[in-house]
Amino acid sequence: MTNPMDREAVSEPLNPLGFDGIEFIEFATSKPQAMGGVLETMGFRPIARHRSREVELYRQGSMNIIVNAQPADVPRTVQPVERPILSAFAVRVRDADAAFRRSLDLGAWEIPVRARAMELNIPAIHGVGESLIYFVDRYDEFSIYDIDFRPIPKVDPHPPAIGGLHFFGIVQYIGVDRTADWVEFYSQIFGFKPLPDRVRFGIMPKGLLLQSPCRNFYLQLIEPDDTSRYAPAEEHLQRIGFGTPDVMATVAILEKRGIEFFASEKVHASDRGALTKSSLGSVMFELVHDDLPAAAADR
Amino acid sequence: MIFNDFGMDTASLAGSLESKLAAIRQAGFTQVMISAGDVVGHPAGIAAGVRAIRESGLRVTGLEALRDFEGLDGQLHAYKVDVAKSMLEVCSEIGGRSLVVEASTSTHAETDADAIARDLRMLALLAIPMGIRIAYKGVGWSRTARDFRVAGDLVFRAGCANLGLAIDAFDVLAAGVPLDDLDALDPLQIYLVQLSDFMWQEMRSTEEQAATATHFRVFPGEGAHSEGLANFITKLDAIGYFGDYSFDVYNDDYLQMPPAAVAGRARRAADWLGETVLRRALPVPNMERLLRAPHL
Repeated sequence: MTNPMDREAVSEPLNPLGFDGIEFIEFATSKPQAMGGVLETMGFRPIARHRSREVELYRQGSMNIIVNAQPADVPRTVQPVERPILSAFAVRVRDADAAFRRSLDLGAWEIPVRARAMELNIPAIHGVGESLIYFVDRYDEFSIYDIDFRPIPKVDPHPPAIGGLHFFGIVQYIGVDRTADWVEFYSQIFGFKPLPDRVRFGIMPKGLLLQSPCRNFYLQLIEPDDTSRYAPAEEHLQRIGFGTPDVMATVAILEKRGIEFFASEKVHASDRGALTKSSLGSVMFELVHDDLPAAAADR
Repeated sequence: MIFNDFGMDTASLAGSLESKLAAIRQAGFTQVMISAGDVVGHPAGIAAGVRAIRESGLRVTGLEALRDFEGLDGQLHAYKVDVAKSMLEVCSEIGGRSLVVEASTSTHAETDADAIARDLRMLALLAIPMGIRIAYKGVGWSRTARDFRVAGDLVFRAGCANLGLAIDAFDVLAAGVPLDDLDALDPLQIYLVQLSDFMWQEMRSTEEQAATATHFRVFPGEGAHSEGLANFITKLDAIGYFGDYSFDVYNDDYLQMPPAAVAGRARRAADWLGETVLRRALPVPNMERLLRAPHL
């Protein structure tokens, strides 16, 4: 097939880092067992514990979630409190160190080595609010968890996903008139691209969608609405979106397990998506209709 | 008029940070530009400086000024990036939304526009997670951007959402830049306008301009260029600028006067500008002023 842009020599690197999805998403909380309970109801299984820190790994299908109760020792990072906070996500890239150095050259803030989550020295930068973004390149044959984590005995290290659940995106709450700034940040450092307004997923259509260069992961940037424009609020990662090929079937399974979904006139489960009620004061998950990405299905 | 659009600069006043903030507040101002030295040089430590600003009730116009940042290589560049990060952290702590960056006067600075644009883009990206805007300002004796025209070109070339301009009336008046050149700017990209005047009609050299700029500025209405200043502000209003005006007055005499007396002079300048020059329309209560649509 000929490239429609051949005549104009478009040489923009579409995926400068070799971005290949999300390796893990992290919650920080001082009550890790309560958070673990919520994750287990959602279908995750505890797989491994960190060798030296109060950190646990949960998994289902292709998704890894880390629950971190270790007090933070760096300014501008999440300090675990009772209410769980989405504190980090890790992106899979071709070469983590190269991606990290490139991001610093572009103007990202480095996280000091001593504070990085695991002992493998996973490079990280500051993200929105107090959150971090890690760069991971060992996710194929050899994983970062092999070294830092001790498997929980007699547990299947690869529990299947309920209803084909997989990471779809993260919703980020941002300040007034801050959309352009964050688009700049994610597009320059990672190669995310804003999607036109007509492209929407799920049942929570606000804000602006950014698509990852691998096209399997989305960030949704949401500014305060008119009524809350003047109330100062911190910017933060608000919730995870899971993709599932059949939303209603997955909702039915999760409801049986004890997950409650919003069922108001405005927000209710449909073929497009669903939103869980919040647990532990802050934790919500969104389901979005999305067929399994080919790569995730293989894993 | 909207008096709240005008603010003072802590660098105009003598005394402790607390007494400066009190004088500014007592003169009726609601915003203040913080000179970085006033926070980090606080005798009781930075935290005390930050607290004094936060407790003053004054809105922080911004933090000034990062100098000689762009166009450097290797170790010098790395050193300046550290300085910039430190200033961004201070700016964030005091609740500032803008960091004023003065165009480089360093003889080590490269003048290649692409290199400068790359450095400005990096600085802007560093500022994004903290919600800070970078207000880049031409300086008459700079090697990289002598005035807002060159600074505006560099900002355009860098093309970053939170990178814009600070325009200093002194530099425009002193160098005689035609006001019509302001037409080329997108008003939304002007983050800040700094105002001051000076006593003599003209300056014979850039050395004299530099000395005047750092020692002999006066408040608007007190100098020899009231008409020029009035035209400058009227022009900015006409192109749709609706941001802050900060009195960027560095004057050795003012540093030997009681802060309250100097703040009183600033108050007179704000009254003169607001009542006779600007006559900005009052917004309807609880309504934002309408933004002009961005250029498509």
